[in-house]
Amino acid sequence: MLKVFFGEMPQALYSTSLYFDNTYFDGWLDDEFAQKMIRSVDKATVLSGHAVESKALGIIPPTKLSGGLKTLLLIYNEPNKIFNASTCGDNCAKWLLKIPKVLDRDVTVNLRHIMDFGDGNFEINILNDDTVVHNMNELVQHAVKFIGE
Amino acid sequence: MPLSLLVSNMIGSHEILVRNNRVQYKFTVNRNITILRGDSASGKTTLIDMIADYSRDGAESGIVVRCDKKCVVLERGNWERDLKDYKDSIVFIDEGNSFVRSYGFADMIQNSDNYYVIATRDSLFNLPYSICEIYGIRNKSGNRYQGTKRIYSETYPLYNREILHGKPDKVIIEDSNAAYDFFRAVCGKEGIVCETACGKSNIYKCVQNANEERVLVIADGAAFGPEMERAMALKRVKNVVFFLPESFEWLILKSGLIDGNELQDMLKHPGDFIKSERYFSWERFFTALLVDQTKDSYMSYNKSSLNSVYLHEKNKDAILKTVNEEADAELFGR
Repeated sequence: MLKVFFGEMPQALYSTSLYFDNTYFDGWLDDEFAQKMIRSVDKATVLSGHAVESKALGIIPPTKLSGGLKTLLLIYNEPNKIFNASTCGDNCAKWLLKIPKVLDRDVTVNLRHIMDFGDGNFEINILNDDTVVHNMNELVQHAVKFIGE
Repeated sequence: MPLSLLVSNMIGSHEILVRNNRVQYKFTVNRNITILRGDSASGKTTLIDMIADYSRDGAESGIVVRCDKKCVVLERGNWERDLKDYKDSIVFIDEGNSFVRSYGFADMIQNSDNYYVIATRDSLFNLPYSICEIYGIRNKSGNRYQGTKRIYSETYPLYNREILHGKPDKVIIEDSNAAYDFFRAVCGKEGIVCETACGKSNIYKCVQNANEERVLVIADGAAFGPEMERAMALKRVKNVVFFLPESFEWLILKSGLIDGNELQDMLKHPGDFIKSERYFSWERFFTALLVDQTKDSYMSYNKSSLNSVYLHEKNKDAILKTVNEEADAELFGR
């Protein structure tokens, strides 16, 4: 299940783009699920572990991927760490929900904003008050209390 | 405060064009703080990286930046030292720079004559930015030149004015002073419950706790930006509408109660008169202006307690007419 801590979380890695640039491995881009995320979020195709062809920017190194996608790749490849997922836009939300399922384990992220997880049902454990919410209405009622704390 | 003395270097709107052979961004910054957010991969970091490259290497970077002000990028590390050196500039800050949430940063930019464009999804509760200056970036068009596709991007406002249909059952006012005095009196006559939130950061709690069917929130749009995300999120669970004029004082100034062609002309483009170094947000300027324009007169305005003259029938009606015009709805009868 996706676990979310809303608001300030000192142990979460805040500058995910910088962290990605210095820690990613070429092999991360070989993964089929990672390639799906890259296609979906950045509209880009993986050419190799060193290069991605982006619709907007042409052929770029992985360090030029979007901040949101870098964070998704970090969460997917380093699920024991906690990352600031507010570097992800709403177009990353469905992938955040999928990562724990693909990895078949709980994954914890830090959010400093109310991400829109869409109109469907889901399961997210809000760690601030250890509540499981099942849709955006439930999520909003809990999350507004913790944003800004 | 003579209007002619308000003009300084960093005022008004500034058009910015940033371009290389693959992407072009064209947008305008209107106030001292602009927030960029929205979807991932919309080009926020690319824009700021291009400005950083141009700032370092100028035309040799191959990037074109056109603006009547110097555009610079502020990064973590020595941000305090670097910020002291920036004057009369437009300062861009990419996401991932946690210092933007600090009191130290808020203190420093409060007294600077720069404009700031900050890419972040965090709500920056220390900064009083306007609901009108929160933008996303989107691709407007594209073309192909010498085999290379160039994408043209623009900014677009993320929040638009809301319309309330019918009368509210409850009105929540951001502050507890003059604006509350005014709307409490108006609501009292119409049998509408009126409550003060005692500050914008409490509004979400008041909305959550409201049992009434239809809730109207009235707050100063000029500084409500940090609250906007959770305000909009609450619309999923509550029937709430937000009326967010620049400020209560702006409504009074706009109502025509205060004479002066120069004043009305200024209210059409206040950004040309508001010195960012002096007024952290526009609502502070409008308060200072209203106090100044009414001093030593029977209309003398005091923010902490409403002068009862503003509740005289004719004056109250003039303000409510402006309220209804700005809300594009009959929020209150006159």
